[in-house]
Formats: sequence, C-alpha cells, structure tokens
Amino acid sequence: MSTVTTATATATATVLAASPQTSVSEAVVFWIVAPVAIAAALAMVFSRHAVHAALLLVVDFFCLAVLYAAQDAPFLAAVQVIVYTGAIMILFLFVLMLVGVDSSDSLVETLRGQRVAAAALALGFVVLLIGAIGSATLQMPSQGLAAANAEGNVIGIARLLFTRYVFAFEATSALLITAALGAMVLAHKEQVVPRVSQREMSRRRFAGAHPTPYPSPGVFARHDAVDTPALLPDGTAAEPRPPVLEGSSNQAGRAGDPAGPGATGSGS
Amino acid sequence: MTPTDIPAPSIAYGPLWPMIAVFLAAAIGVLVEAFVPARRRRPVHLVVALAGLTGGLVAVALVARNHHHPTLIAERAVAVDGPTLFIQGTLLLLGIAAVLLLGERSLDSTGGTFVAAAAVVPGSRGERQLTASSTMQTEVFPLAMFALGGMLLFPASNNLLLMFVALEILSLPLYLLAGLARRRRLLSQEAAVKYFLLGAFSSAFFLYGIAMLYGYAGSVDLGAIFTATGTVGSNDTLLYLGIALLSVGLLFKIGAAPFQNWTPDVYQGSPTPVTALMASGTKVAAFGALLRVFYVAFGPVRWDWRPLMWGVAILTMGVGAVLAITQTDVKRMLAYSSIAHAGFILTGVVALNRSGLSGSLFYLLAYGFSTLGAFAIVTLVRDADGEATHLSQWRGLGRRSPALAGIFALFLLAFAGIPLTSGFTSKFAVFSAAISSGATGLVVVGLIASAVAAFFYVRVIVLMFFEAPAPDGPTIAVPSVLTYGAIALAFAVTVVLGVIPGPLFTLADKAALFVR
Amino acid sequence: MKPALAYAAADGTFAATWLLLAFPAVGAAILLLGGRRANRWGPVLACLAAGAAFVLGLVLFAAMLGRAGDDRAISQHLFSWIPVNGFQVDAGLLLDPLSMCFVLLVTGVGTLIHIYALGYMAHDPNRRRFFGYLNLFVVAMLLLVLGNNFLALYVGWEGVGLASYLLIGFWSARPSAATAAKKAFIVNRVGDVGLSIAIMLMFATLGTTSYAGVLGGIGALGANSGTVTAIALLLLLGACGKSAQFPLQSWLLDAMEGPTPVSALIHAATMVTAGVYLIARSAPIFNLTSDGRLLVTIVGAVTLAIGAIIGCAYDDIKKVLASSTMSQIGYMFLAVGLGPAAYAIGILHLLTHGFFKATMFLGAGSVMHGMNDTVDMRRYGGLRTVMPITFWTFAMGYLAIIGFPGWAGFFSKDKIIEAAFDKGGTSGWVLGTVALIGAGVTAFYMTRLMIMTFFGERRWDPDAHPHESPAVMTGPMIVLALGSVISGFALTFGGGLQQFLEPVVGRSAEEGIHTISPTVLTLITLLVVAGGAAAAYRQYGTQAVPRTAPQAVSPVTVAARRNLYGDAVNESLLMRPGQYLTRALVFVDGRGVDGVVNGLAAGIGGSSGRLRHAQTGFVRSYALSMFGGAALVLAVLLLGRLG
Repeated sequence: MSTVTTATATATATVLAASPQTSVSEAVVFWIVAPVAIAAALAMVFSRHAVHAALLLVVDFFCLAVLYAAQDAPFLAAVQVIVYTGAIMILFLFVLMLVGVDSSDSLVETLRGQRVAAAALALGFVVLLIGAIGSATLQMPSQGLAAANAEGNVIGIARLLFTRYVFAFEATSALLITAALGAMVLAHKEQVVPRVSQREMSRRRFAGAHPTPYPSPGVFARHDAVDTPALLPDGTAAEPRPPVLEGSSNQAGRAGDPAGPGATGSGS
Repeated sequence: MTPTDIPAPSIAYGPLWPMIAVFLAAAIGVLVEAFVPARRRRPVHLVVALAGLTGGLVAVALVARNHHHPTLIAERAVAVDGPTLFIQGTLLLLGIAAVLLLGERSLDSTGGTFVAAAAVVPGSRGERQLTASSTMQTEVFPLAMFALGGMLLFPASNNLLLMFVALEILSLPLYLLAGLARRRRLLSQEAAVKYFLLGAFSSAFFLYGIAMLYGYAGSVDLGAIFTATGTVGSNDTLLYLGIALLSVGLLFKIGAAPFQNWTPDVYQGSPTPVTALMASGTKVAAFGALLRVFYVAFGPVRWDWRPLMWGVAILTMGVGAVLAITQTDVKRMLAYSSIAHAGFILTGVVALNRSGLSGSLFYLLAYGFSTLGAFAIVTLVRDADGEATHLSQWRGLGRRSPALAGIFALFLLAFAGIPLTSGFTSKFAVFSAAISSGATGLVVVGLIASAVAAFFYVRVIVLMFFEAPAPDGPTIAVPSVLTYGAIALAFAVTVVLGVIPGPLFTLADKAALFVR
Repeated sequence: MKPALAYAAADGTFAATWLLLAFPAVGAAILLLGGRRANRWGPVLACLAAGAAFVLGLVLFAAMLGRAGDDRAISQHLFSWIPVNGFQVDAGLLLDPLSMCFVLLVTGVGTLIHIYALGYMAHDPNRRRFFGYLNLFVVAMLLLVLGNNFLALYVGWEGVGLASYLLIGFWSARPSAATAAKKAFIVNRVGDVGLSIAIMLMFATLGTTSYAGVLGGIGALGANSGTVTAIALLLLLGACGKSAQFPLQSWLLDAMEGPTPVSALIHAATMVTAGVYLIARSAPIFNLTSDGRLLVTIVGAVTLAIGAIIGCAYDDIKKVLASSTMSQIGYMFLAVGLGPAAYAIGILHLLTHGFFKATMFLGAGSVMHGMNDTVDMRRYGGLRTVMPITFWTFAMGYLAIIGFPGWAGFFSKDKIIEAAFDKGGTSGWVLGTVALIGAGVTAFYMTRLMIMTFFGERRWDPDAHPHESPAVMTGPMIVLALGSVISGFALTFGGGLQQFLEPVVGRSAEEGIHTISPTVLTLITLLVVAGGAAAAYRQYGTQAVPRTAPQAVSPVTVAARRNLYGDAVNESLLMRPGQYLTRALVFVDGRGVDGVVNGLAAGIGGSSGRLRHAQTGFVRSYALSMFGGAALVLAVLLLGRLG
C-alpha cells in the first residue's frame, strides 16, 4: 500500500512538474499534502493498533481528496470524502469495534527473512517505478482541464460515464448485486430451528430444576473466565453448566439454549 | 442548472445477448432466492441457470451467423469478433458442465458439496445440526452465473476499464464460492481468504498498469493504445510500465509463474465443482483477455515484451511440471498441472501470429474440458470424510471401478499430450505456431517440460491400475445424471478432438482474427 | 539411388491397405470394451484379427510383387487430420517394400505369438484384457510402420510404448512389474523427447512432416549441415530409447517382468526394432550426415558389446535373452549406420532375428511353463529329454543366432561383420573387430544357456514336474523354428531382399572392394564362434553347475551381473539431477514439505492436519513472492529496454 501511494505521489509530482500549466498555488498545495499522504500511509502500515490504522487511512483519503480538489476535480473530491471517508471507513471502524479493539493479533513475524525481503523488494520496486516515471516526459497533447470542465465538472463526468463508459457502468451493477449477495451468504443465517419466545424460555426455566439464576462464573472462584465454574458457598464447584461453544460465545446456537450463559450470566 | 444535452449512446444490444442472457439468469437466480421456498430452490436454480447458459449459446450461434464482420459495439467497449465468440462459446459449454456439477447432490448422504449455511462458525454446535440437514447454500447458482457473466465479458472487453470491471465481476463470486465447501470448511475458508487477498493484490497491479497506459496513450481503448505504439517519438517508459503491471494482473489470473503460488492452495481448498469452474473457465477467460491485450494493443512492441513472455512461459512450464511430481494430493497435482498448461498455452501467445491465436483457442477449449472432467471425477471418489483426494487412497482404483479410472486415465493422458487425445493435437497446434514464429527454443523447453509432466500423470495411472487397492480405500459414489452428463461431455470432447480435430481447427482458424 | 518420393495412389487391391489396421483395431475394441461377455471367445477373436491382417498382408505383398520396382510405394490418403493454418497433416498410409517387410513380420510373428499365448495364458483370469492389449499393440505397430508422415509414426511410436507399458505391467500384482513398467515408460520418454524435437525441427525447417516432403526436401539443406546432423542425432536418440540402445538400454532387462509372449513379440521381434525402422526410413537424412552415421555405428557397436557381456553373467533365462536382444539390435544399428551399403543387411538381420529370437523366447516360455515359472537357469538342467519339442525348436534358434552355416543368422550376421570391415579405415577395423568378437561372445552365452537349460544334471526344485507344453504352444514354436532355419537363405536367395528394398534404401554395395575377402572372413567368424561355444562347453558342459550363483567371481562378472552399472549411470545422469532439481524447487516453493517422490503411503489424516498447520500465515509469503515477481517483470521490461 505504501509503495503504491508513494509512487502515485511521485507520479503526480512528475506530471505536475512537467506540465507547464501548474500554478504556484497548486504546487504549494501538492508539496504540503503529498508528504502528509505518504507519511499517513506509512504510519498506517506500521501502526500496531487497528483503530489507529483506520484513522490514519482516513487522513490519507482526505489528503487525496484535497489533491483532487486542487486539480479542479471537485466532484471526485466530494465523492472521495463522502464515500470513502464517510461510508467505507466508518464501516471499517464499526467492524473493528464489533470484533473488539483489544483482540490484537500477534504481530511477531514467524517467517524468517520475510520482513527484510519485503523491505528490500519494496525499495527496489519503488526505485524502479520512480526511475521509470521520472524519466518519462509526457508529450501527449492534453486538452487541459478547461476543456474537460467546460460544462462543469459533474456534467463532464456524466458525459463520459453515460456515453463512452456506459457499458462498464452498466456492468458494475452485476458487481454490486454480487457484493450484496455475498454479504448475505456470509452473514445471514437461516432460522432452521424455530425461535424460542421469551415466554417459552421462562416457562422452561421454571419447569426445570433450577429456576434461579446460576451463580455467575468467577463469583467465588479464583478466575473470572467464562468457562471456570463458580464456587458454591461450601467451596465445591457449582453444577456443570452447558458447555460454552468453542470460539463463538456470542454467535451460534444460543437461540435454543435457555440455560446457557446468555440466559443467566449476562448480568455479571 | 441548465439542462445539458448528452446524446444517448448507441448500443447495439444484439451481439451482447450472450452476456445479457447469463446476467439475466443470474439476476433471476437472486429473485429465486427471495421468492421460491427453500425446498424447491435447487431445481428451479438449475433450470434457470441452464436456460441462461443455453440461451447464451444460442445467442453466440446467432451472432456468429449474422455478424460476419467483426465490430466494436457499445461505444467501442465490447469487441464482437471471432476470438470473442469462440471463447464465449467455449465458456458457455464449460459453464453448462460446471453448473451440472454444482447441482449434484446425491454424492453426499446429506446432500451437495456446498455448505448448509456459510455464516455458521465451523465446528460449532449449530454447524453440526446443519451439516446433518440436507439444506445447502443455494446462492451458489446465481454467484456462479455472475462469475460466468464476468468471464464472458472479460475477453470481449475492448477497453481496459471495462476489462477491469469484468475482472472483478468474475473474481468476486469466485472468492465467495471458494469458501463454501461443506467438508473441511476451515481449509475452504482459508482458501477463499487467500484467493481474495492475493486477487485484490493482483487487481491493484492491473489498475496501476491501466493508469500507466492511460498516461501513455491518453485512452484506455485498446485500439488507441495500438495507435499510440505506432507513433514515433512518444516516451515509451510509461508504456513499458503499463505492460509490466498489466501483465502481472493477467498472469496472476492464468496462474503463470511467478504468480502461481495461490493456485494449489485455492484449488485444493475450494469445493471441487468450484475448482472445476475456476480451473477451466477462469483460465479460458483470462487467456482470452491476455490474448486480446497482447495481440490487439501491444503487437507493435512485441520485440520488447516477447523475451519477458519467453521467460514467464519457461518458468511456468518448469515450475508446474517439476513441482507436480512431489504432490500427494490429487487436487494439488491437478493444480500444478494447470500451471504447467498455462505455460504451454503461453507459447501460443508468444507466437503472436494467426496460427498461434487459433492454436491457443483450440488448446483452451480442449484443456478446459479435460480439466473439468478430471475434477468432476475427483468429486466421485469419496470416503467418510468427503472426497478422498490423497493419492494413496487412489491406489487400485482401476480394480474397483475400471470405467471411471479409465476415463480419468484418459484425461491424464490428454494432459500428458499422448496422441489421439485432445492434449496432443492442442499441444501440437501451439508448438507448431511457436516454431513458425521462430520460438524453437521455447518449444524445445516445452517438449521437455511435457515429458517431465508425463511422468506424474503416468504415476497416477500406475497407482490406479497397477497397484493393489488399499484395504480401507474410498468408495466410488454413484452420482445422479448431472455429474454423468458433465463427465460424458468432457470425455466426448477429449476423444473427438484427439481423433478428428479438423472441424474445430477450421473453426478456430476462421475465428482467429481480432478486431481493433 | 534417390528413393522414389512420388508415391503411387492406392487403387485396386491396395485400396484395402487401411484394413490392415482395421482388423486388429476392431479386435482390440471388442475385447477391451466388450466386458465379460467376451471372455470366452475373445482370445480366439484376437488371433483371428491378427491372422486376417496377416493374410491381407500376404495378398498385398503378392500384389506388390506384381508391380515394377519403382512403382511399389503406394500412398493411401485417409483424411486430413490436423489442418493448422497453412500446414496440413493428412492421416495417410504408405505401403512400400520397407513397410511391407515390417507388416509381414508384425502380423506373421504376431499371429503365431497370439496363438501361442492362447496356451500360455490359458489360466489367467484377465486373459481377455491381455489379448485386447496385444491387438492394440499390433495396431500401433502397424500404424508406426505404415504412416506416411513422421507425425503418424510418432502416434504409432507412442501407441506401441503405451501397449508395451500396459503389457509389462500386466501382472501388476508383482510390485516389480509395476516398477518395471514405470521405468520403461520414463526411459522411453527421454527418447520420445528426442523424436518429438526432431519432428518439430523438420517442421521448422521444411514446413512439413510428410515423408515425401521431408525425405525429398532434406537434400536442400546441404550435406553435413548443422540442422541435418541435429535432426539425425535427435532421431537417433528416439531410436535408442525405443530399441534399448546405449545409453538408454536399461529398461529392456526389467521389461522381462511381462508375460513371456509379450517379451517375444514386443521386446524381441517387433517393437524394439522400431528404432532400426526409424533410421532405415530416414535413410535420406542419415545419408547426408557422416557424423550422424558414425554415431549410429558407435552406438550399435557399444550396445552389442554391452549386451553380449551382460548376457554372459545372468542366470535368469529371460534376461539372458533380453541382453542378447540388445546385442543383436546393436548389430542392426551398426549395419544401418554404415549407410546405403548395409541398410538392407540391417533389415535382413532384423527379419531373421525376429524369427530366431521369437523362437527362443517362446521356448523359454515353454520351459518356464513346465517349471512353475522358474526363470533361474541354475534350477534347470537336463530338460532335453522331458521337453523334446521345446529343445529341438530352441536348438534351431540357437544355431541361427550363433550363425551356424546354413541357418538364418549365418546369412545376416556375417554380412554385418563383413560390411563393418568393408567400411574401411580405422573405424571400419574397430567396428568390424567389435562385431567379430561380439559374435564369439554370443556363441559363448548362448551355448551356456543351452547347456544349463537342456543338458547336464537335473537341478530342479523339488516340486518341479517339467512336461512338454500343449500343441497350441508348440505349434507356433515349430513354425518359427522353421523360419529360423530357412529365412536367412530364403531372403538372400538371388539377392531377393536387397533388390526388394532397393527402391527405398538404395543399392547395397555388394560388389564393392572388400577389406578382407568374404570367404576368409567367414572362416574367421566361424572359428571365433566355435571358440566361444567351446569355451562355454568347457566351463559348463564338463563341470557341474552350482545351484546358486558363485559369489567369488571376477570384477568383470560382478559388473556384468549388475547390468554393467547401467542403472547406476541412469540414476546419476537422469534421476538424481531431476530429484535435486525437484527438491531445490520444493525448497524454494516452501510448500512441498508434505510430499516426497514416493511418499504416497502417508495417511490422509496426518497429512491434512499438518497441511492445515503449515498453511496458516503463508499468504503474506505468497504476496511477497508475487511482489518479487512483479518487480522482476518490471525490471526485465525496463532494463531490457535500456540495454
């Protein structure tokens, strides 16, 4: 990611430097924003905290939006902010919070030489790209932004989108349906067992041998882990509870399980 | 705001019907998910998907009959020419066979090769209940249809932007499908994540390449890039950057070295019908796109990229053939074999002449069916844990089920390029094309690689026929007519193309002309 | 001199040429696809199919004799097989005197061996499959010799390989049979790569693979040009693989794991001589390259020596015969390498060898049949009286191979020795001497075989009850024995075969200047042969033969017993580098830990668990290698641009 951004920035720099139309103000904006963008991208990669990384990505996206705006592409800049920074990053953060910000993976690299090799390769790649793009001079006759934005930026984009690229635009719908369908497949679970109503749950509890709540785990125990049995006042372990599902304390199988930790232990 | 007049683009929808039919079937499939009761979904899906594919095939035939002159339609975005139609026809036939495999559910006692509910965590109690039930995630049908639609569009795209969209349309459903195996779900999900991450990585390269080419030519249209390569004086660095980065994306999809190492893991982990679709369909579509890009846009600078492709082809053949020798899992072995075959087809790309193109087209069709048939047979060899893919379990299969093992042996012989199978004629076609364009060295390497490859194919034949069956070996599941149909189709194509390849050669040769 | 390359069209009787292939093809199809229903009558049908092809072959032969010499090459177009753009391969047949010889040999000897196998395989439960494969072999072999282009030859070439492979491994319950089958296949692949590259080279330079185009057009490339030599050497590599010539000879000994009729038909009389056919067929190519021809003679001489030496050391009767086959094919290579002067002599030896070697293999099979499938000659002895027919027929083959005057080998082998000396120069003397000594060694090991098997005391295993084989087996043996006696004389009578083959391979230099007068040379040869036979008699006829092979023997014997370290050479030249390459690549790949070449026995449970563990976290290393690849691609394109 970082390499890509770096190279993009470099490319932009070259293009700007080579093009005679670059105004001073644009150059100033570029040289302020581009380093920030690169720094943010690198920081995102090296950040050990997922939320920090996400926020740094937001910074990066903002910088890109500013660059777009500086190049007379207000529509793109707005979309960048609204869609990426607004929608997508918020979704990212949602998921992060849902999974739990604490659940950090081990960041110890187990593969020998992986990081060194990655760094070396990235460096080599960047050198190649910068060298190549730096040596490129654009001799292509460019119409200039004035022509492209003659009717206004949005209309210019619309014109392209609905004429030359209309089929790509239409085809994207297949992508969107696939994405929606994919989300359904991965997240939606059909209700195979009829849902147990609250009424039924409480009826079962009182019909059973143990109407009162179970002692919460760890109440009198030395550990507060969910799977450690509570100790009764006489020091013996409380009666065994239904086993906690491996790896999924809050997802599967709870519906049909009135005496599970969800039913009784949730208050602790 | 003053209303602006944007003239409506003219799109001749007629020649787009092969794709429209498939996408339509996919969309109807989504509606089926919503409105048809769960019990009846599978047969309805099957009918819809097969109708869509058959419709597409009819459309291809009609377009081929009515449009004798290759054209660019939809604002030059879609090329309707011989290669497009040939590859679309191939893909639709492969698609029909693949959908038949997807629909099979009499192999497993609980039905189907697909997971009952993907959202349920593997190993949980809820999963155990669901696995015992006979439900399945029927969304696989619309997903597969979307993937096929993307595959149809990929080689037909005449501009890189559309090509990228098509690439994503074909990839995204496959990422999902890869993770939906009913058995060994962790392996399957791992495969899906791997495929997704690496696929996204390669897409980034592809996009970056598009950007460079746009910078070079001022357009993403393949014809415009071709024109730009012909003009003198423009700085070519951007062009070479673009070629390199674009190739990375395309070579990843065809599974060429050094971008091949996702292939074995993903092929092994995915549900086998999906592997069959990936190994045949994706390869055909990606090669179609690769051929179009290199033949249409980069032809004039061939002297610069041909050495690269030489290297890639040699590396791919070598890595595929040599590494396959040590594999002990049938699916992994077939995966490495598909890598080696990507190398063989690349020799046709390197040839860069008409016979190279027609040879590659022929090879793609022949190889697609052999590999699909091979994977179809893998689905039938089962034990209590699902498919028995370890080679030691295939020992003595020829004694238990001579017909099945014989057909599998035929596919292996076709892979090995033994005469009178489609593999021989197709290898011959690409190699002779490469020779006529002066790539004799490459062909020599190819012949040696195919000799090495023959070793491990034959090893499996020895294993099946000449060794005693393992006492606790797998059983041969008796499939429904669906799997039989797919295998019969693959078998017929493999034999017919070996014995009388003439008509198809003529067709491929007639088709082998790109529109620019 | 120049072969007639304008082939006559197949009309009249010759329109039926394709039926030669069709008879056995239909037989094979019925037998292999027919299922159990065909169990009872299938084997007989197979014999009939082969017999029908033989009869048709005879009819065509008669028709061919009725035509003028230059008019005898008949080409039959079947259909257009591979019409790649601008390049056409037609499936067509070419029936000329050369292929006629092979057709008669393959169908004639083939039919006899089919009949023999009726008896030999009578109790095998899979006999239908066996006969199906045999018919399949006949089809492939006929296609090999009848194709009118190198591609059809290649198809037949692979086909006989496949059939041979299936038949070697026919008794697959024995692990050694499966291994032998695999070995034969792999060694043959090495040769096949040579052949396929040669064909591709022909196509690259001449734009065609048909005999008419290649053999007619090769002259345009110029004598001794690099391309011609390269094509010739690659063809030689292919021929070496199929004909078990040095350095690809090692598979033939292992191939003896197959049923004995297979050894007789495929690994003695027909398939292994395909290499000789290839060289004779490509005569116009070899005529243009003296280096290529020299190498052919060297390969032939080396192999004939190796085969003869190995033959002296083995106690396994079939392996002795197999090494003798190697050695005799060495003679044929030597002959065809000598150029136009000796092509016909090479083919003559091929035909006589087909008779006498098949006789001896069938005899060996008959002995094994009576001795509970024992192959160790140290367990035989004194069988002369209990198996009289086997003994007498075998004796005819024996006399033929050592070149006893009047018997077949006398006419063919002596001619080869003579032609080798006539080559002149140092090389002629060296080759001639090797061939001459080879004849002596041949006499030694064949006499040893005769004595150990049929004479001396009975060293049988206690449970052996040798008996003569049934008539269905002895019949073919008698016919073949007859061939061993008269074929040499019959074929050379009035220069018959040489004149017959002249339109294809050119005139033999019969009336050239001789280095040594033929009469003198014949006498010398007879003396050497007698010496070899006498030495064998002294060692094995006058002393008792121990039942176990003595261990205290000379290093030469040890080396010979070990196949002159041919396997070791193959291993270090072919197998080891391959294994190291594989290992290195596996190491680089970082993924192949779960498999080694033969580690198929590992259980699925353990390995899948291990796999799962090995796989976690590797996606980043995949990404890294992809990234490396991308950098490489970029570097190649950009730097290649600068450079």
